Amino acid sequence: MTRRRFDWPDLAFGAFLIAVAAGALLATRGLAGGIAADMGPGYMPRAIALILLAFGLFFAGRGLLRGHVGIERVQLRPILGVGVAVGVFALLIESAGLALASFAAILIAAAASRESRFFEVILFGLAVTAGAVLLFIKALALPVSIWPW
Amino acid sequence: MELFDNLLLGLATALQWNNLFYCLIGVVIGTAIGVLPGIGPIPTVALLLPFTFGLAPASALIMLAGIFYGAQYGGSTTAILVNVPGETSSVVTCLDGHEMAKQGRAGPALAIAAISSFFAGTVATIVIAVLSLPLAALALKFTAVEYFSLLVLGLFAAVILAHGSVAKSLAMVFLGLLIGTIGIDVNSGVARMTFGVPALADGLDFVPVAMGMFGLAEIIANLERPAVRQVVSQKLRDLIPSRADLKAAFPAMLRGTFIGSALGVLPGGGAALPPFTSYALEKKLAKDPSRFGKGAIEGVAGPEAANNAGAQTSFIPLLTLGIPANALMALMIGALMMQGIQPGPQVMTEQPELVWGVIASMWTGNLMLLIINLPLVGLWVSMLKIPYRLLFPAIVLFCCIGTYGISNSAFNVWLMLGCAVVGYFFIKVGVEPAPLLLGLVLGPQLEENFRRAMQLSDGDPSVFVTRPISAVLLAIVALMLLAMLSPAVLKTRKQALAE
Repeated sequence: MTRRRFDWPDLAFGAFLIAVAAGALLATRGLAGGIAADMGPGYMPRAIALILLAFGLFFAGRGLLRGHVGIERVQLRPILGVGVAVGVFALLIESAGLALASFAAILIAAAASRESRFFEVILFGLAVTAGAVLLFIKALALPVSIWPW
Repeated sequence: MELFDNLLLGLATALQWNNLFYCLIGVVIGTAIGVLPGIGPIPTVALLLPFTFGLAPASALIMLAGIFYGAQYGGSTTAILVNVPGETSSVVTCLDGHEMAKQGRAGPALAIAAISSFFAGTVATIVIAVLSLPLAALALKFTAVEYFSLLVLGLFAAVILAHGSVAKSLAMVFLGLLIGTIGIDVNSGVARMTFGVPALADGLDFVPVAMGMFGLAEIIANLERPAVRQVVSQKLRDLIPSRADLKAAFPAMLRGTFIGSALGVLPGGGAALPPFTSYALEKKLAKDPSRFGKGAIEGVAGPEAANNAGAQTSFIPLLTLGIPANALMALMIGALMMQGIQPGPQVMTEQPELVWGVIASMWTGNLMLLIINLPLVGLWVSMLKIPYRLLFPAIVLFCCIGTYGISNSAFNVWLMLGCAVVGYFFIKVGVEPAPLLLGLVLGPQLEENFRRAMQLSDGDPSVFVTRPISAVLLAIVALMLLAMLSPAVLKTRKQALAE
């Protein structure tokens, strides 16, 4: 590990918690807090958000002071491949049916790995798609259409 | 004897044909995912949850439980034969198990692992049956005050006994609690943090969260590492262990079962911690510790017994108190709630055939595992020949379909995607996602009981320490936290988890 000025994992985690807490406080600002004996809907979320904020500040502060840890490099290919595959599935499932959505998801997900081979993936995708249709629609009766028409 | 009546009632449920069938499905799926590295029981159970909706509650739980302990068996098979732990709980089995295989003793190693697991599973079933009644009876006396303290104890203990930094895990629990408050507040009917999304009105579904953080995020992280080629070279000869093997293994098996049963009951317990503890103990007790790591049969028998016992006794807090000991049990709570059963001590008295049926099914399931694992070991090992480049797109797809299937909403698929990205971030910054799932599942119960307790006491928080049971529970929490801060305990914990 190369020498770093900050403890990046701690710092990033702390910043993430602070952002979430701030978002929660913002989103619940319109809710009534109430008193302990008669709590309103905003009481618990706000209390938890404040605790999270404290945790976030603690980690961020520690990350700034302690130092010298890096984060392993982020590789774009896996996260993009898997992410886009899931996104495309979500877009297609209701309009295009399970068969097309599944096939597309398999192809795109396979692109996340450097080792995938083109024809193998096509064949495998067809097989898994057929299997998924049989398993989820025929056997488990998932209420979704197979084809777009 | 009430105990025998209950066990008989349970056996009557577990031995129904359809329940035997679902138990078999569960243990077969469990063994398969146990063998395959890169997919664990958590995403698998999450994936199958939506489809258990149409089953009877007992069948659903029997099947899901089978996946969990089936995975422990499968994990040890690959640990012994190819030095790849299918699950974290079988990491220790690699040490001596694979060494035995290299010496041409793969057969006895597999047999001892299976026998130890079966023995431990049988004993653990009895432990569950014996402990469940008094615990549930105690829990029935609980009011909102005690329940809140118990939930706090469960959450804290889960955090402290699990892997990783305690402070970070605690932060994750609170994060889970926070996202657990999303949705319509039951008391006032006001929407909280739904950002105008109607799909969020009922709160965040934990299945997409679990699948995103445990299933997809793991895959993304796995793909970043260079692929490992697995070579299966072992020819399996005689499976039967010799008399000397059995004699050496038996005491280790007994001790492993005891350790596993004890550690499994604790909140935060489960299948991961016991094998490590058992291995360390066997090494300490051995006359010649240098044999360990070079194919000592005790090093297989002890940890294997421990992980199976732990996997099963971690059901005790769930079945008796309605509190999950780990992330997987949190999913089981979800399965109960999907069946319209509010988890808690009352389940034991209101649905005895469900609880005892699940308990008894663990024994039938273990028997099935013994049969499907030993003779069919070659079949399972051949599953390892499926390359990861084909496996992972299929897992991604099944996660998508499973998530969509919970309520037929594309929103859940997007939610899973978001959770995958956040889960990947957690992996990168070295934070365990399991406590978040616990917080998410327990959050609504925690808030409900807290609010009710505060109403009862008229807003006086001292009620939690003036009621005796609650005070004891919270004192345990305080003790654990204090102990965690002491440097000596910190050091041994680090060693215990690192080993």
